[in-house]
Amino acid sequence: MFYLITFTLIYLIITIYLSYLGYRRTTSVSDYMLAGRQVHPVTMGLSYGATYISTSAIIGFGGVSALYGFSLSWLTVLNIMIGIWIAFVVFGKRTRKMGKALDAHTFPELLGRRYGSRFVQGFSGLVILIFMPVYAAAVLIGISRFIEVYLNIPFSTAYLAFLLITACYVIWGGLKGVLYTSVFQGIIMVVVMVAIGIYTYHAAGGIVSAHEALTKLTPFIPQYLKEAGHRGFTSMPAAASPLWWYVITTMIMGVGVGVIGQPQLNVRFMTLKSDREINRSVPFTAIFILLTTGIAFAVGALTNVVFYSVYTELPITAVQGNIDKIIPLYIDRFYPQWFVALFLVTLMSAAMSANSSQFHALGTSLSRDIFEQALLRGKSIAEITIVTRVGIVFSIFSTLFIGLILPESVIAVATAFFFSLCGATFIPAYFFGLYWKKGTKAAAKASILSGFFISLFWMLFFHEHESQAFGLCRFFFRSNSLAGHPWNMIDSQIIALPISFIVFFVVSLVTKPVREETVRSAFRHI
Amino acid sequence: MLGFSDAWIFAGFILAFFSALFCIIYGVINWHKGSSEKDGDYREEVRWEKEEIDLIEKLP
Repeated sequence: MFYLITFTLIYLIITIYLSYLGYRRTTSVSDYMLAGRQVHPVTMGLSYGATYISTSAIIGFGGVSALYGFSLSWLTVLNIMIGIWIAFVVFGKRTRKMGKALDAHTFPELLGRRYGSRFVQGFSGLVILIFMPVYAAAVLIGISRFIEVYLNIPFSTAYLAFLLITACYVIWGGLKGVLYTSVFQGIIMVVVMVAIGIYTYHAAGGIVSAHEALTKLTPFIPQYLKEAGHRGFTSMPAAASPLWWYVITTMIMGVGVGVIGQPQLNVRFMTLKSDREINRSVPFTAIFILLTTGIAFAVGALTNVVFYSVYTELPITAVQGNIDKIIPLYIDRFYPQWFVALFLVTLMSAAMSANSSQFHALGTSLSRDIFEQALLRGKSIAEITIVTRVGIVFSIFSTLFIGLILPESVIAVATAFFFSLCGATFIPAYFFGLYWKKGTKAAAKASILSGFFISLFWMLFFHEHESQAFGLCRFFFRSNSLAGHPWNMIDSQIIALPISFIVFFVVSLVTKPVREETVRSAFRHI
Repeated sequence: MLGFSDAWIFAGFILAFFSALFCIIYGVINWHKGSSEKDGDYREEVRWEKEEIDLIEKLP
């Protein structure tokens, strides 16, 4: 307890101080400083990485790795190639230029102004407002599961306590000066994850021996997983088996591709001053992702070796099926107390950096995108500050409610749900908005609506992992899915994203183009 | 294959390192590129930054 209180207090004091410092530096500079201010590439790398990687990646996807093994290495590949390189180079550079040209400050605003459509901005803001609390809840569940195991208290108590800490942090200024606090949080995450990676490989006998030992555990994999297509922790699931479709389309591609449509990440590009800053940030962010998610996924898989060598049982058995508890249990059982407390601080860093950006996106979605643009039709009034605060309090309550009703083993699923939904809804309008001058307002509306509603429909009536939880399909059709294998295992984004792309292209060919001056203004720096 | 029993897993594991390496090489090659461009005038930058500060001020 001594370590826990000491580390937590030191962490909170430094975070609050940096938050204040960052806020003061943001708001108290001259015009000359504003125009010339640059973001250091390491700052951008750590800050973007800490926003991207949350407790969901460490606890949620770490637990998924413990169940499915090294298949999730492919998610690290996508995280780096799509989540960093394509996001920064293909999308980020043009987002920055177009954001400045259109004076856009939120992701929905960028889309709305590019197509000259208040509906696009308002609807996109609404999607964020309603569904981002699911992702925010997943992040909070991540740390709460750890607190539950570490302090041996009920999950709901841990969840309420940490949500209270986050709410205080957010309400008393945590959303200001986010850049500086997330750098500090990012450094803690890298240092602790590297230490865990080194310890785990060492405990499992070295790199090759650890992987070989993991291969030898194949016979002990539960029968129900083998029947679904599990072929071992160092093998991909059997091709085209239910598990293969699930791991590839939901766990790997859901997050790996959907990251492009993440509003809280895309706005970061608009704060940069030049393409040079983006070019220089790419290596640091990629290294950050490799050292955090790469290590989390490898450690997740290797918990099987360490657990089995001591307890002769797999961690999935030890946690009675709740994969969200595997990493917490592993850290609690195999590390000294001071390190367990340090890991909790790491999770606080991961949760708070992700939560800050989520609540920031939620607050601005309500005030700027929905209230100011869609409802007030562009007028700005003094009450907007109050609306923003109400919006954030509303988001905190919906996060509280969602977190308490979600089932076990849900962190990675809820994260993939939000990433998939954003991917199918936003990516086509975002991509064509940056690269195709002939994309139309009607096409943007149709693409966003089709991506969103097809995703929802697929989740409610086809994809069994969600449809089973919602129960609507069973209520109407007495079955968890309207189609059998493999459709019931294919993620919604795989279906909705291509349709949303096609809809955008076809509708653009037959509808009126966006006003010429809007397009000229949007592309004037490109 | 580093102790992995499946070539796909080996490929994913290695590619994770190579993708990070690719990003490092990209950053090094383009380290000085993109600095000389003129992105709008001084007033546009200031206007954007001021609006952003205004937005931050409206947050709790």
